[in-house]
Amino acid sequence: MAVKGTGIISGNGDEQRALVVVFLRGGADGLTMVPPVGNGEYYKVRPTLAVPEGDILKLGDANCGLNPALSGIHEIYKNGGLTVVPAVGSNDDTRSHFYAQDLMEHGGPVAGGWLGRFLRFRDGAPPTALSAIALGKAMPEVLRGAPAATVMESMDTFSLGSKFGPTAKLQTELGALYGKDESILGPAARDTLQALDRLEKLRSEDLPPMNGAEYGDDSFSNGLRQAARLIRARVGLEAVSLDLDGWDSHFAQEPLIMPLMTRLSDGLAAFHRDLGELMQKVTVVVMTEFGRRVAENSSFGTDHGRGGAMLVMGGAERGNVFGELPELETGILVGPGDVPVETDYRDILKPILTQHGAGDSMAEIFPT
Amino acid sequence: MKQRESDEVSRRHFMRAAAGFTLFSTSSCERVEDWLGLGGKEGPVVPPTGEGIDLISHVLNRTTFGPTPSEYARVKGLADTEESAIAAFLDEQLEPDELEDNRAQRAVRRFEAIHAPLGEMYEYKEAFLLEQLTRATLVRATRSKRQLFEVMAHFWSDHFNIDVSKKECRWLKAADDREVIRKNALGNFSDLVRASALSPAMLWYLDGRENRKRNSSETPNENYARELLELHTLGVDGGYAQKDVMEVARCLSGWTVRDKGRFHKGRVEFFSDAHDDGSKTVLGHEIASGGGEKDLDDVLEIVCEHASTARYLAKKLCIRFIADEPSNESIEATAKAFSSSRGDILTTLRAVFATDEFLTGARGQKLKRPFEFIVSALRGTRAKVSSEMDLVDYLIRMGHAPFQYPTPDGYPDVASPWTGTLLWRWHFAIALSRNEVSEEIEVDQDELIEKAGGEEGLSASLLGRIPSKEELAGIERTGEPLALLLASPGFQWR
Repeated sequence: MAVKGTGIISGNGDEQRALVVVFLRGGADGLTMVPPVGNGEYYKVRPTLAVPEGDILKLGDANCGLNPALSGIHEIYKNGGLTVVPAVGSNDDTRSHFYAQDLMEHGGPVAGGWLGRFLRFRDGAPPTALSAIALGKAMPEVLRGAPAATVMESMDTFSLGSKFGPTAKLQTELGALYGKDESILGPAARDTLQALDRLEKLRSEDLPPMNGAEYGDDSFSNGLRQAARLIRARVGLEAVSLDLDGWDSHFAQEPLIMPLMTRLSDGLAAFHRDLGELMQKVTVVVMTEFGRRVAENSSFGTDHGRGGAMLVMGGAERGNVFGELPELETGILVGPGDVPVETDYRDILKPILTQHGAGDSMAEIFPT
Repeated sequence: MKQRESDEVSRRHFMRAAAGFTLFSTSSCERVEDWLGLGGKEGPVVPPTGEGIDLISHVLNRTTFGPTPSEYARVKGLADTEESAIAAFLDEQLEPDELEDNRAQRAVRRFEAIHAPLGEMYEYKEAFLLEQLTRATLVRATRSKRQLFEVMAHFWSDHFNIDVSKKECRWLKAADDREVIRKNALGNFSDLVRASALSPAMLWYLDGRENRKRNSSETPNENYARELLELHTLGVDGGYAQKDVMEVARCLSGWTVRDKGRFHKGRVEFFSDAHDDGSKTVLGHEIASGGGEKDLDDVLEIVCEHASTARYLAKKLCIRFIADEPSNESIEATAKAFSSSRGDILTTLRAVFATDEFLTGARGQKLKRPFEFIVSALRGTRAKVSSEMDLVDYLIRMGHAPFQYPTPDGYPDVASPWTGTLLWRWHFAIALSRNEVSEEIEVDQDELIEKAGGEEGLSASLLGRIPSKEELAGIERTGEPLALLLASPGFQWR
């Protein structure tokens, strides 16, 4: 059975349909990222930390807006490319970073990560070497159990490259041996060799970002830049995981998370501009393990809470706000005074995964 | 109290570290290598000479994690004909306890965490336990002489899959590996199922510990009951109905395991007040009311003796050892042996190995999964490995790290899901042959070639046949025989 080489070494083919998962580790404060609009209670319980009403970037007539530090993505919202989800989270009520992150990355009290299971059970040909990457130093739980996943800090990871010598001759001979291979490995090998060529070109050319996008030199922006290059190179990238750490703001919250929000917003805005039209096929999900206590504490910080914020950029999203921020009053708040979880994060992820080809596998991705 | 406990733990660790240090400082290098299981004498290397894969190479491919350079000659020397030689080899492998295996056992002894009593496993960091268990698994697969035993342990780990990332499986899987999988790998299937049903890790993994009926409003948790029927015994088309799943769940209600917040963590217990003690009907068999904890034995007897179970297990074994799509004859013959021996695993394996399809069917047609690819490369090159974790990175990239498959069905055992792994196979082949995987993994290509009597001999010892013209030409043009051979199509199959 002769199958023509396609040059794609991943199951989702040349569609450039990639899902980028950004995890804000530490519990990002939803009420600072997505503050309430016209809410007197907010200013009472957050005398020093509340975002001044006049500074809040409005999201239509929604009862919540965006922090001014997120102005980069506010532009994207205005152009219909961003959805904001307030009061979202999981059913974890331990308020422990470890448990809450684990639960959210696993997609419930189950084994393996939801992104890993998506790759394993989604429709289409099996994923391959370039299907999933974790930008950073370690494999995140969300990708656990993936049929293929690579931790990378730079593009050099993807080569047959070797510290002590070139591999061009070997590559040629492998091409010859697999070229005649009539087994199931033949077409897979030919695709792999073509993708390697493409990556080689990508490495040697060091293409600048497109559409005038400018990335910062922080590791988050750099990760997004690498992801954009790989998506554009059509090597079959389907899933990207990267973290932005440091949101655990028990003490002096404002100077801690303001620069993080700027980095998040600028990075996402550059990525969005860089990919341009391709953002129709690419979805970025920004999530965190939980939001924080409604009332600020005595050291100008906030403690672990429940409902937080989630952002969805690109894909078939239209600029909107999903659900609304509940009132911040006793009787509505949960536990020691936390925003209730009005939207389960999985309900946001499911339609996105469907767009990305989950097919009939939702029961495997999020077992009940 | 807490403080004293941790003092005790760290003191113990210190003592262990000190013991290790003494050993290293007072022994000669050879002694240390021996103790670590790294050294070892090797017989002569006489590679295969057939144009296709001969019977001995075929049997070694299928029943082991791949031949070492001298293994072919050793097996060939066991008898006058190929047929008698493989019969003698299989006899040897089917009685693993008679096989001296000191080196591998010594090498594994250093992973102290996996030998700890159940409760003590919680004293270790989860990541450390997984690391020790993974390293031990790689060491055993690579170095044990009881290869068929290790292949079967691997098989059962998939069959009774437990992913360490779920809840307290993090601590308990190592005990499951030891007390369930390895203890019964070549024993009786019923014992294996029973051990698994009452395994603390399995009670966590498939929520058996949550299965209780304390009052009329409580409904049993069906998770384990379903997988017991669907994956462990009858198979998905095994002829059970939803009603059977519910009845099995009722039978097993009341069994639970203590969590880590309590004394005797990890202890399995039966609570009669959480057990549904009414009468049940499972697959047409009546189970009278009042059976209490004995309901479990009744259920397991019913499912283990069911004809579908024999056929389902037979098919899985045939897929492992014969082909991705084994013939009906092979499955029938194997199922018959399973049934008539009442689940004796040795008898069943003998039946698999006696099928025509195994002995004379297509050879080199089972794709090595990533774990098998890596281990067979290490064995075939006699690689010296002192840090197995450098291999795990490759296994994760190829989606085949031990004990990390997310759903209960275990890693697939057929070719198609694995075709996307070539890039990292090639990467590994090149890195291994150039000694670049890490400083802790070493291969001596020149010595391998010399012992095998040249590059052609090396090729034959890795491929189980003499190399083709194309393969030889490629070796010549690259000047890197080992890298090309390990990355070539021929080495990807077993």
